[in-house]
Formats: sequence, structure tokens, C-alpha cells
Amino acid sequence: MRKIQSTINASSAEFRRNFAHNKRLAAEFRERQEAARHSRPARDLARIAKQGKMRPRERIEKLIDPGTPFLELSSLAANMAYGGEAPSASCIAGIGIVAGKETMIRADDCTVKGGAWYPLTVKKIVRALDIALENRLPVIHLCDSAGGFLPLQAELFPDRQMAGRIFRNQSLLSKLGVQQLALVFGHCTAGGAYIPALSDYSVIVRGTGAVFLGGPPLVRAATGEEVSVEELGGAEMHTSVSGVCDYPAATEEEAISIGRDIVRLWREPNKIAGRREPAEAPAYDPEELYGILPDDIKRQFEMREIIARIVDGSRFHEYQPNYGATLVCGFANIWGFKVGILANNGVLFNDSSLKGAHFIELCNQNETPLLFLQNITGYMVGREYERRGITKDGAKMIMAQSCSRVPKFTVMCNGSFGAGNYGMCGRAYDGRLLFAWPNHQIGVMGGKQAANTLADVKLNQMKRGGEAVDRALVERVREETLAAYQEQLSAYYSTSELWDDGIIDPVDTRNALGVAISASLNAPLGEPGYGVFRF
Amino acid sequence: MALKLTLAGRTHLVEIVRRRPRLVLSIDGREHEIAAAGEGGDGRNSLEIGGDSLHFVRAQVGDSQLVHLKGRGYEVGWVDPQAEIADAGADHDEVKSPMPGRVVSVSRIAGDRVLRGETVATIESMKLQMSLPAPRDGRIAAILRAEGDAVEKDEAVARLEALSPGS
Repeated sequence: MRKIQSTINASSAEFRRNFAHNKRLAAEFRERQEAARHSRPARDLARIAKQGKMRPRERIEKLIDPGTPFLELSSLAANMAYGGEAPSASCIAGIGIVAGKETMIRADDCTVKGGAWYPLTVKKIVRALDIALENRLPVIHLCDSAGGFLPLQAELFPDRQMAGRIFRNQSLLSKLGVQQLALVFGHCTAGGAYIPALSDYSVIVRGTGAVFLGGPPLVRAATGEEVSVEELGGAEMHTSVSGVCDYPAATEEEAISIGRDIVRLWREPNKIAGRREPAEAPAYDPEELYGILPDDIKRQFEMREIIARIVDGSRFHEYQPNYGATLVCGFANIWGFKVGILANNGVLFNDSSLKGAHFIELCNQNETPLLFLQNITGYMVGREYERRGITKDGAKMIMAQSCSRVPKFTVMCNGSFGAGNYGMCGRAYDGRLLFAWPNHQIGVMGGKQAANTLADVKLNQMKRGGEAVDRALVERVREETLAAYQEQLSAYYSTSELWDDGIIDPVDTRNALGVAISASLNAPLGEPGYGVFRF
Repeated sequence: MALKLTLAGRTHLVEIVRRRPRLVLSIDGREHEIAAAGEGGDGRNSLEIGGDSLHFVRAQVGDSQLVHLKGRGYEVGWVDPQAEIADAGADHDEVKSPMPGRVVSVSRIAGDRVLRGETVATIESMKLQMSLPAPRDGRIAAILRAEGDAVEKDEAVARLEALSPGS
């Protein structure tokens, strides 16, 4: 592997303009993240303090090993939903180190509507447990939830990927021998009661922790029985009578301490062996990423410059450097772990698609995890390319990528439009983790293209109908479509809907990927083999 | 395989001819019998070349080797064969469009001096604007496509020529 020779000019006007633009985007992202994490009405915080409870983030801080990183996922989930009243989708999820073991930590956020589950809360919990399943990560549940947010029950209860999936995933985790621990700080009501019940170990805090299928008001309504929270599902009852929970704790701190003791008892993870080399910081400053990323989504940029600021020593062994130039493929290390990188340097042509498919096969043969760096407007269109079979070459790439047995990771570095999203391991392709940068935009096509297409359709309708052409109406269609698209194309909308595992600041990419790759090695590789490649 | 080393701006070809009974290296075609007398720590080394003993100090700094010999310092560089392959395309004179598309702007005129990597023109294709950089240092000999023109894949948008000496 040799060092990438950067050719950027950090004193050029373009670099400085880009730098200012992207630095501002990163600052805006950090501000939004800070607000989602900490900004709560004083009334709610006072209530929690009065109950003697910690805030969920304090609990996580005390749970993880001191000085270790916590890779928070989807910190801005639901930021554009429910009028913004469910920051981070009112729950926290992330990968952290507890007693030396990588774990998925999932916490209800009692500072938002008593920790009620909104539809996107459920989506985020299910995703966290999917990640745990795919990576065989033990799970620690920090329970404190009032239950489903009833006004929106139709969007969180009945379907395949909704609340029931949480408990199904818990069961499958257990079947795979992946441990789970529940620390019950507050209420686990209705479905939520199954979380401690389906965990291998559970600890419940006296006085504030409670587990029941129906709370006292529901019991009263159903049977007329009058019963207190403590009597119905408190720590004393569950740890001495029902056996639903294992250990009572006097305080939240004690519950966390018991929890850490339990995790310490768990067997050491059986990580897949691979050669790990000493890690080395990139030779180029990752801060320069801000100046390389354009300030206009339409502007192309050199992906090798991005790679040089993410990988160990900026060293890269490029595969087929002179073939299929619009897809850069090659091997590098991140945190000492070998990865095979596919990065878009333009539209995918026949040759770049074939190169990508072949490279993916090489990585599978070599048991090297795949990293996709997306900036893609699609596969090449036009008569010549259709005649050359661009569709079947794109299909080969999708086939190789879908059937991969190695872990896959995706970073949305800029645009992700059209079918290019598929070949480059978009959300539908079960990558282990998918991160987005704040400048990211995603959609089946760009906003302008969609607006023009729909305006043209409207114009043709009017012409066909023999109507007088209403220019104002056509313009309105164009503007309305553009406005709607702009909102839905943005990284904030994407992350709000959990189409990714969170926005990250570009300078944090290397560390986020390091945690992700390390965690992925807890799971064995998938089954080898592919389907039929269309030649 | 011959190793390419640079010393004071010149490239030298170094090849191992034999290892036994004694190491014989070919340096730019001339053979030398070499014996290593060993390292003295702190980068101190000595070699015997054709019977003559030679003492020097060497240090690795970044990607280059610094050698101190008979009161003078030398920097020895290594030419990575992969880098040579990758740079092989960097000598051509044409600024080509990697995509079929349309020229959105031409930022240089004939006669301009350009450095390798500087933008000569910008094209747009598939909703993406790409800067077309100069493949090497030189002067713009001709601009072949104007703003608004359609270009085919690999079609030249501009042509460079070498700078005349002294300019």
C-alpha cells in the first residue's frame, strides 16, 4: 500500500469557500444534536430529579467503562417528525464498552413524555436490536418507558417491523447465545414489560422501577381491582414473588453496578480472527475534508482525497487504477483493520460496474469487510450504454454486493440518487452500519429534475386537453415539487426517518468506522455464494 | 527486480546479481561485491565495497532515507513502481471529458500557463459537474470546445503544450 498523494490546494479560494460552508454545516449539526440530547422543558427535568432518577445519558455514562467511546446511533431520529416533540425519537441507542465488552446499549428517554414509544422510537429500537443480531452484540436495555404513544398506536403496533419485532429480536438474540441485560429504572408497561422478561438477566430499582402488563388505571378499568404500582409490579414483588426480575437495587447507581458485575461474568466474545495491524493516523488532516467537499451538491470531487483523510497512514492499494475510473476500488486499513473500499468518482459506467462487482468478489474471497463511500447520481443512461447492457452490469454489482458474506459499511459522503444507491449498498442492502454526512442528499432523482419532469407532465396534460396553457399553474407545480423535494432530500429528513444510523461530522468518520468494524467482527461471516450473474 | 533509487536528482538502477558466496549488486550496470560489516547502533553502519571499507550514518525520515557519508549528507529516495504506473498517464497533453455531457464553463484561454491539477473547463453530465484538470504543467495550446457544446466520453476539450524553455 502506498500513501495517497494529495493534490489539494488549501489556500485556494474554492477550498476556503468549501471549508467555510461545510464547517458551518457541521456546526449546525452539532447544535441540533446538542439540543436533541439535552434541551428539555424544565418541568420534565424537575419531575425526574424529584423522583430521584438520573437522566438517561447520565445512566449510560456511568454504565460504560470510563474513558471509552460511546458510538451513538441516530441521534437525530425523529427530528422532523411529531412537530419535533420526540428528540432522538425519545430513546438512545449506541455501541459502548462495558466491562471490556462491546455492547449495544439501548435506553428509554424518560425526559420525553415519560419515555413513551412513538412510531419512530419503535423503529429505532428494532434497528438497534437488528444491529445487535447482525453483529452478535450483547444488549443492555435501560428501561424507563410509559409504553406506546397511544394516539399513534396504528403506526407502532400492528405491522411486521413494529413493536412485536422488538420481542421477536430479543428471542432470536437469545437463541444465538447473545446475552441481554435489562436494568429497570422506571416503568416497563404493556409490551415493554417483555423487555426484562426476555432478557437473560434483569435488575430493578426499588421505589421507581415497575414491570406490569397493565398499570393500575388499566387494571381498575378492566376488573375494578384497586392496586398500587409497588404491589402490582414493584421491585420487591418481582424479585421475591413472581421471578420476573432477578436482582433488586436500592438506587440507580447500585443497579448499574450490579449490571456491570453481570456483564463482567459473561464469556469473552468469540471474534473472527483476522490479521490486525498497528493503527496509524491518516497522513493528511481530516479537517481538510471540509475544504474538499463541495458547497454545491452538483460539484464532483476526488474521492481519493476523502479516502486519504480516513484510512491509516493515508495508505491505499488501488485495484485496477486505470480501468473503470469512475469507481475507485482498493484496500486500506482503518484502526488497523483491513477494508475494501468502493468510492464513487463519477457516474457508474459498464466498466466501473464490472470492476466494482469483481472487487466485491475479491473482498469476499479474502474475507475483507467492504466500505462504500457514496457520491452517486446513478448508472450512465443513453442509447449507447443501454446497448452495451449497462443494466445487466449494474445488476452484477447488485448481485455481488447483496450476496456478500463479509460485513458492509456505507458512508453517504454527498449525493445518493437513483439506482446507484442500490449498487453502492444503500439502506436496503443490510449493511452493518450506514452513516451520513450533514451535506448528504438522497432521493430517486434530484429536486430540480423531479420538478421539471412533473411540470412538463402538467404542461402536456393541458395541451392534450386542449386547455389554454396556464403558465402560472405550471410554475406552481414546479415550485411546490421543488420545495417538497428539498425538504425530503436533506440529510435531516433521512436521519429523522432512520434511513441511516445517524449523521456524523465528517472528521469523526474514521473513529465511527473503527468502532463499527471492530463490533462487526463479533459475528461469523455469512454463507458464501452468489445467485446467477447476467453476463 | 531492479530497485530504482534517486540520489541528488538522478535515478539509479540497483539490482541484486548474486547473494552467494558474496553479495554482488549491479548499480547502473556496474557490478560491485559488497559485504556488510554490521551496524554500530545509532544508525551507524559500515560496508565493504570491493574490499574498501566505508563508514556512514543513516536515518529514516518519513518516506526518505538520509545518509551521512564522508562529511556530506545525502537524501536517498525510492521510486515506487506502482506510483510510476499510476503517474504514467500524467504526461499526455489532452484535457479529456471522462463523461458524455455538456461544457458548462471554460476557465482558461489559449496561451494560459497552467499547473497540473488546475481546472481548465467544467462539464456537466448526469446532474454532476466535473472540473477537468490539466494533466500536467504546461501552456494551453488550444481550447477545442466552447461553453454549451456537447462532448463525448474521452473527447478532448483542450490541448496543452510544453512550456518553451525560459518562459
